[in-house]
Amino acid sequence: MTVPLLRVDGLGGAFRRRDGGLTPVLHDVSFALQPGCITAVVGETGSGKSLTALTILGLQPSAFVRRSGRILFAGQDLLALPPSAMRAVRGRRISMVFQDARAALNPVFSVGAQLADVHRLQHGGSARAAWDAAVEALRRVRIPEAERRARQYPHEFSGGMAQRAMIAMAALVCTPALLILDEPTTGLDVTIQSDIMELIVELCRDRGLTACLITHDLGVVAESCEEVVVMNAGRVVETGTTEAIFTRPQQPYTRRLLAASRLDAAAA
Amino acid sequence: MNGAPYTVLRTRGLAKQYPVAGGRRLVAVDGVDLALDAGRTLALVGESGSGKSTIARCVVRLVEPSAGEVWINGRAVHAMGRGSLPELYREAQMVFQDPNGSLNPRMTVRQVLHEPLRLHLKLDRERREARARQLVEQVGLTPAHLDRYPHELSGGQRQRIGIARALAVEPDLLILDEPTSSLDVSVRGDILALLLRLQREMRLAYLFITHDLQVVRHVADDVAVMYLGGIVESGPVAEVFARPAHPYTRALLSAAPVPEWGVTRTRLRLAGEIPSPIDPPPGCRLVGRCPLAQPGCSAARPPLVEVSPGHLSACPVTLTAGDRP
Repeated sequence: MTVPLLRVDGLGGAFRRRDGGLTPVLHDVSFALQPGCITAVVGETGSGKSLTALTILGLQPSAFVRRSGRILFAGQDLLALPPSAMRAVRGRRISMVFQDARAALNPVFSVGAQLADVHRLQHGGSARAAWDAAVEALRRVRIPEAERRARQYPHEFSGGMAQRAMIAMAALVCTPALLILDEPTTGLDVTIQSDIMELIVELCRDRGLTACLITHDLGVVAESCEEVVVMNAGRVVETGTTEAIFTRPQQPYTRRLLAASRLDAAAA
Repeated sequence: MNGAPYTVLRTRGLAKQYPVAGGRRLVAVDGVDLALDAGRTLALVGESGSGKSTIARCVVRLVEPSAGEVWINGRAVHAMGRGSLPELYREAQMVFQDPNGSLNPRMTVRQVLHEPLRLHLKLDRERREARARQLVEQVGLTPAHLDRYPHELSGGQRQRIGIARALAVEPDLLILDEPTSSLDVSVRGDILALLLRLQREMRLAYLFITHDLQVVRHVADDVAVMYLGGIVESGPVAEVFARPAHPYTRALLSAAPVPEWGVTRTRLRLAGEIPSPIDPPPGCRLVGRCPLAQPGCSAARPPLVEVSPGHLSACPVTLTAGDRP
């Protein structure tokens, strides 16, 4: 095994309730992301998959209290970094794509301007160069008529097009080592979903990106990911290669989840 | 009469248009014919904007159709006065996608279930309570749940209450609009098993609206594939899924990922995205996106033609090319 790009090590934590008490939500979560691989973190509502991803970026809700664990990224514990150092990692070294791209984009600026802004922030250079880079990134994610689309606002984009623009921003305008995708195709139509997943896989392969795909959709996982982390109720249930998880699941929960996804015997 | 085929729902030329600015019109549903027998499930599938939910709403007059006929149990629904619609709602009921939005948060489960029993069946309090207890048990909950508010229930339990409420009036037809789309997969299986059991017990007819092709395969007898307001292909599920005739159906089926290791799909790719339903051009709805399109495709709207018994497709190209898999 090579040295992982990122290792979540014994992460545990709780939400602080209004009465001051703590509700445990993550228990000893540990997994590793191998460089150049797409790793899926799968689980149902409340499994802790999104909370874990947000914690990697330091974006966890303020009510979340970490009680144990480390997140090692290129040898550094992200949880020990001061906020200023974390800001240098976020976006530059690790970037994120969210579920609802139209909500993640700023409605009052054109899509191209938002990509160009991020480009100047990350790489400097002239406004002209940043705009050109933004248009080129949109073209690379196969948005037709990229120059015209760059001048449009998020509400003029369909859900699928907006997600392409978000991927352009997170994976191309930013040049991260690690890309985290939180349910990037949930809510999109199945034909669009398939196109977006193909684009994600292609970009990761081309650029040697390491990706962490948070999803509840095992169909997407089977096709696009190399490694799988199965989570349930705040715990890692099982980890393994996609082939092992789908053909030789070891844990009863994994087997139940697979059966439910396939709607076979268990559901009948 | 048990077992004899009996048509619960029939639509003929059902259409819904909305006027939009500039004297143009948005065609949401464009001439749809459906037939559904007692004890059977017809799945309406299609992507966002295909018009499937508009059909569901037109069938029960939550949306007024612009043209066409709807017959439920032999009754001309399209001709009913608004005042007699309560009679319709004793025969046809809806179950919605989001049980959070469709249950009143300030009503207990008891109040939710008593309401239709009081309004439609005019039962007294005692008989309402007895029936409400029976209903919660029918959907796999207990009378203890009657005192709960929706926020005290899980998503799956809320959907069970949505189903119990629909069953309260003992309808013949349930219109299920994406009933499992907001649920986790483990809960989805339970709700589908419940719906299948209820259908067997009560010989219910289901008009099942979904975009989840696995669910269609699991629960439906027949399927109608919708694109841009019209049906492009319909027939028995096993036949349509095994031998899809229309390019859109092929694109849809080949785009759905399967949760199995080592499955490779040969995708039929459509260009671009679903076009605007405002002032659609004549000809096949798929022109411009279809890789198999011929010059003749944009001339006139191709009709649904039988390709095998009960299996209809609106694509003359695949019909004559003889390239069906």
